[in-house]
Amino acid sequence: METFDHLLAGLAAALSFQNLAFALAGCIFGTLVGVLPGVGPAAGTAILIPLTFNLDPAGAIIMLSAIYYGAMYGGTITSVLLNVPGEAASVITCIEGYQMARKGRGGAALGIAAIGSFIGGTFAVLALVVVAAPLAALALKFGPPEFFALMLFGLCLVTSLAGRSLIAGVLMTVAGLLISLIGIDPTRGVPRFTLGLPELYDGLGFIPVVMGLFGIGEILSTAEKPYREIVRTNLRDVLPSKAEWKASMGAIWRGTGLGFFLGLIPGVGSIIPTFMSYILEKKVSKHPEKFGTGVIEGVAGPETANNSYANAAMVPLLTLGIPSSPTIAVLMGAFIINGLTPGPFLFTEKPILVWTIIASFFIGNVILLILNLPLVGLWAKILEVPYQYICVGTVLFCMIGAYSINSSVFDIWVMLGFGVVGYLLRKLDFPLAPAVLGLILGPQLEKSLRTSLEMSAGDFSIFFTRPITVLLLALSVIVILVSALNLAPSQLREASDD
Amino acid sequence: MKRGWIVASVAFLALFCITIWESTSYPLLDELGPGPGFFPLWLAVIGALLSALLIFETARGPADPPEATLVPDRPALFRVLSIIVMLAVAAASLELLGWRITALIVTAALLPALGAHSPLVMSLFVLAASFGVFHVFYYWLKVPLPIGTLGI
Repeated sequence: METFDHLLAGLAAALSFQNLAFALAGCIFGTLVGVLPGVGPAAGTAILIPLTFNLDPAGAIIMLSAIYYGAMYGGTITSVLLNVPGEAASVITCIEGYQMARKGRGGAALGIAAIGSFIGGTFAVLALVVVAAPLAALALKFGPPEFFALMLFGLCLVTSLAGRSLIAGVLMTVAGLLISLIGIDPTRGVPRFTLGLPELYDGLGFIPVVMGLFGIGEILSTAEKPYREIVRTNLRDVLPSKAEWKASMGAIWRGTGLGFFLGLIPGVGSIIPTFMSYILEKKVSKHPEKFGTGVIEGVAGPETANNSYANAAMVPLLTLGIPSSPTIAVLMGAFIINGLTPGPFLFTEKPILVWTIIASFFIGNVILLILNLPLVGLWAKILEVPYQYICVGTVLFCMIGAYSINSSVFDIWVMLGFGVVGYLLRKLDFPLAPAVLGLILGPQLEKSLRTSLEMSAGDFSIFFTRPITVLLLALSVIVILVSALNLAPSQLREASDD
Repeated sequence: MKRGWIVASVAFLALFCITIWESTSYPLLDELGPGPGFFPLWLAVIGALLSALLIFETARGPADPPEATLVPDRPALFRVLSIIVMLAVAAASLELLGWRITALIVTAALLPALGAHSPLVMSLFVLAASFGVFHVFYYWLKVPLPIGTLGI
């Protein structure tokens, strides 16, 4: 009952003119980020953080969350019209969506993606409302050893599913964790790895590093490639035909369930649900041989799973303080910039704020549907803007984003340095997602480990005598073993970098 | 690709070795428990071992096909380097020249380097990116973009 009261209060706050405007602006910016080639949701969300500097925390998070799920949908448009995914989760939509566009059914593909995303997103938020409070209450019982094991499990999941090589995945996680340790040691106050530079005493800024790895890195990669032709397709009929509806409904419901379930698991990147949904649809289809030729279930299922996942991935963030993907990690960074610590305490310390944010997800899904069904032609027009202008505009936004966090040019140098590193690692096919999660979880992981060992006077058995910790550590070992023995589906491993 | 992986792994190995050496300069344990050097030391040791393993694994792997190369063609390389150089120029001159002049220079140089043609569209874009963006962020969004020594 208390949850329901908080939700109603949150809904009332989210429906204020100001917050509605933030959600609308976020959805527009997010869809734009998804549509623009060379800017993924992680970089897009990071780049747009300066827009929220003078907003109240609720408004800032509402806008950034809307940017996040707007970008998750926007990527579909380029997948269907260009055969280029606007963000990683839309890779699978290229297969059927692009073929549908070539047959003149691009409008229907985008329409069913918007409708599926709305249904998936709305049900995921409903489920989030149901599970968030009990999960947060459970998490309040967690001590440092449990949190350490939970974060380790999340990192193991990301690592084991990232890229072609498990070793490279672990290596990138370790690198991310080590980068996060630069700065003053939080428990003893000793400066570490600062090279005598005062700018490094607070550590490397998370946002400039992510902007470099994902923003500048992506821009440099895209600048290498030749310009792609847009498929001219019928965008007037965005509503699917009767037969297409019939074929899509099952896929939408399955995508909703799958996306939500996978979103709850910390560490599962956004691409896994879409891949699994596509595989599932092919398995349950009466005509699996038609997949690859423009089958609408192949768009409806993955796109629904994508948005359902995007909303469900907020559950581990809000209740446990664990980000599931680099984009969620950026959102976590935005929470911290706004003086909020995501996790179970947020529900007890700022219940109205957290429920306002959750209620805004409902509103955001409605706004996205309104934006995307009638305005799909307009978004497609944006793809005709020459890439040179998009690229320069993005570079400028990255500069503003990096500079304005601390009003420091040093952060632009950090962004540039990590941009070059990200570009080179991307060319070599090293996974970047584990490094980003390591970077954001590093300080908490170290703090949990050290506090646990202080509790036990240095005795490591504290991790093997508590049931939840033992379970999570056992799961971590299983996940790594499954990956090491190549038991995970290879398609998932190769495509799972966010 | 193979050579690239080996070079990257060697670079990682070097970085992890430096981190091990640096970590040992901090207390590993103190009276309260693990010290500031404890976590980074073990992480760096794991990282160094994995880097060595990756070098070994990659070296044993199949050779690259002869046509495989990581270096882009000349025009693509020019575009990539233009972006990197202009970002460095921007970082070096931002506090001296302020946002408006820096963005003007960067945009005016980068657009033709990336292949933009229309002088009119480019001029409008350059003005919007420098003065327009400054106005929106500085006055409307209250984001403190830098003003240079010339007061612009």
